[in-house]
Amino acid sequence: MNLILFTFIVLLGFTSYYFGRRKAYTIQSTNKRLTALPQFYGYYLAIWCAIPAFIIFSLWAIFEPTIVKLLILSDYSNQGYLDDELNLIYEKTKALSRGQFTGEITPFIEASAEKYLSLRSIAQSSKAVIVLSIIIASVAYAYKKISSNSKTREPVEKFFKAVLFTASLAAILTTVGIVFSLIFQTIDFFKVIPLFDFVFGTHWYPAKAFVRDSSEALDPTMYSDTFGAVPIFAGTFFIAFIAMCVAIPIGLMSGIYLAEYASVKVRQYAKPLIEILAGIPTVVYGFFAALTVGPFLKEIGNSMGLDVSAESALAAGGVMGIMIIPFISSLSDDVITSVPQSLRDGSYAMGATKSETIKKVIFPAALPGIVGSILLGVSRAIGETMIVVMASGLAANLTLNPLESTSTITAQIVVILIGDQAFGDPKTQAAFALGMSLFLVTLCLNIVALRVVKKYREKYE
Amino acid sequence: MKKNGVKMIKINSKNVDVFYGKKQALFNINLDIEENQVTALIGPSGCGKSTFLRCLNRMNDVIDICRVKGQIIINDFDINDKSCDVVRLREKIGMVFQKPNPFPKTIYENISYGPTIHGMAQSKNEMDEIVETSLKKAALWEEVKDRLHEPGTGLSGGQQQRLCIARAISVKPEVILMDEPCSALDPIATAQIEELIDELKKDHTIIIVTHSMAQAARVSQNTGFFHLGELIEHGSTDKIFKNPENKKTQDYITGRFG
Repeated sequence: MNLILFTFIVLLGFTSYYFGRRKAYTIQSTNKRLTALPQFYGYYLAIWCAIPAFIIFSLWAIFEPTIVKLLILSDYSNQGYLDDELNLIYEKTKALSRGQFTGEITPFIEASAEKYLSLRSIAQSSKAVIVLSIIIASVAYAYKKISSNSKTREPVEKFFKAVLFTASLAAILTTVGIVFSLIFQTIDFFKVIPLFDFVFGTHWYPAKAFVRDSSEALDPTMYSDTFGAVPIFAGTFFIAFIAMCVAIPIGLMSGIYLAEYASVKVRQYAKPLIEILAGIPTVVYGFFAALTVGPFLKEIGNSMGLDVSAESALAAGGVMGIMIIPFISSLSDDVITSVPQSLRDGSYAMGATKSETIKKVIFPAALPGIVGSILLGVSRAIGETMIVVMASGLAANLTLNPLESTSTITAQIVVILIGDQAFGDPKTQAAFALGMSLFLVTLCLNIVALRVVKKYREKYE
Repeated sequence: MKKNGVKMIKINSKNVDVFYGKKQALFNINLDIEENQVTALIGPSGCGKSTFLRCLNRMNDVIDICRVKGQIIINDFDINDKSCDVVRLREKIGMVFQKPNPFPKTIYENISYGPTIHGMAQSKNEMDEIVETSLKKAALWEEVKDRLHEPGTGLSGGQQQRLCIARAISVKPEVILMDEPCSALDPIATAQIEELIDELKKDHTIIIVTHSMAQAARVSQNTGFFHLGELIEHGSTDKIFKNPENKKTQDYITGRFG
């Protein structure tokens, strides 16, 4: 029903565009000069169709459910039900009307369901009538109003600006919403667990929090030595460090090769091939690390008499590094390519060789951009989840031995939120606190990276 | 400069052809460059004068699709020969570009770049001396001596170009190629550079590509006129400007085309 109505409105929009344009042509044919191109007259009418439709649809979406609910529950108003019970009745009614109700059906509920259905259909048809009549009225009004010297260009331009603004607003508001949901849960978490214990505690053992029976009162002392985040912060940075040890040299060198040495033909094929690495889903990297690299390292280690865990930081970090290579190589390739040719010429003309030119002129000139690409790579490494969940183990060991297993912030969030969890429980809130710390770290890295990149751009423009 | 009344030839080019891909840019250029003189190359845009200049220090190697044929003989040696060491060649033949292109380094490092590459200084003192003499020769020393360790990109356009000239002369080249060195500069900076060119010809052979006929007349002793990839006429600047043999040269110089 809604779909048909919507299609109809869209068609109406096209029709009004057509009529607007036609009227403009008619005016033009009487040798009057228009204030705007005929299309603008068309767009103008289409907007007069779209805006009322949008307003009515949103108002309807806001008020219809409330009104229907009031009407249904008015039948029960004098029978002394509590609010919660009324809500339950309403939910049952809705479920029954959809045919999804499985419990015992009372005649009361059945009557309500029928009433609900009839109300809904009345609402739908009245919506259709109201929307269509208002649209037609508004389009007709606008159609009559437009003349050779009416202003159509300005409203159309304003409309497009408003649409674009709304789109960017939606993106920003989502970010703000996410941040706020993190903040409130994090604050709740720190009401129970002291910030000091979280930041400086060295024991991370959230499974302990399961022991609590939900009927028991919350006793903060039972969480001492449970949520000390040092081991997982250390694990996160350690694995990211291993990853960058792999990604920076390989990514940078391949970037330099692509930008300075590769012929046009090689570059044409090599660059997309490297970028394929970026397209591999991280789950695939994850089981590559867990099932291929991990056991392989363990075998090599064992043959050398080393004790290597099958889920080692080295396996996870190494594979993560491979995942990050394309980011660094592609970004540094772009940065190096954008170093002006005149600097290369200047250096060659002094008799410098290619490698001297790269080392002494191009690399320093591109350095800010390269640093920016590395920082973006680091923030990816810190935020990466799947590989560490699958390949680095879930026990939070405080260790700097790359052959042992360790865990990261992201992996711990997964551990905490998989399976049953209760809202308002410190264990669940710990995930939010971790998420918040992760967000802050990557935010800082991104800000620094963008600053550095921007500074570099200013230099050559 | 004349020795016993005979002109000393520094560069001798024979039958030079240049191709960009399939397109031929230069046709059979035969041009001799006199030692310790300023030779100006003039002609309308796209006539091949810059391409010819870039042949002289093999800068066209940098362009993948560019091929150079013919002989260019400097000090009895053909630089297009396979045995030619480009690094040594460019040490002997410096270049200054159209747009000032100082490296994003300090003023000092800009000058010390060449001497470092070619291992010309054994100690810090020697390097300091090279930097100082180069900057003095480029008439920039007085302006920058107190801020040698500030970035070269912070200088004004004219200063940057003189920094680039100082950079070029730091390795004591025998020849300096200048590709429209004043086209990005204002008249005052241009006058300074022209004065400098006159000074530099005592120690160096200079070849300058320019769009300004007035500049060619002011700074050069010899002039070559290029048109559509051909060297139409060359000779002493006096003769080219006052008494050209070719009609095209005359038309160009009098501003009738170009």
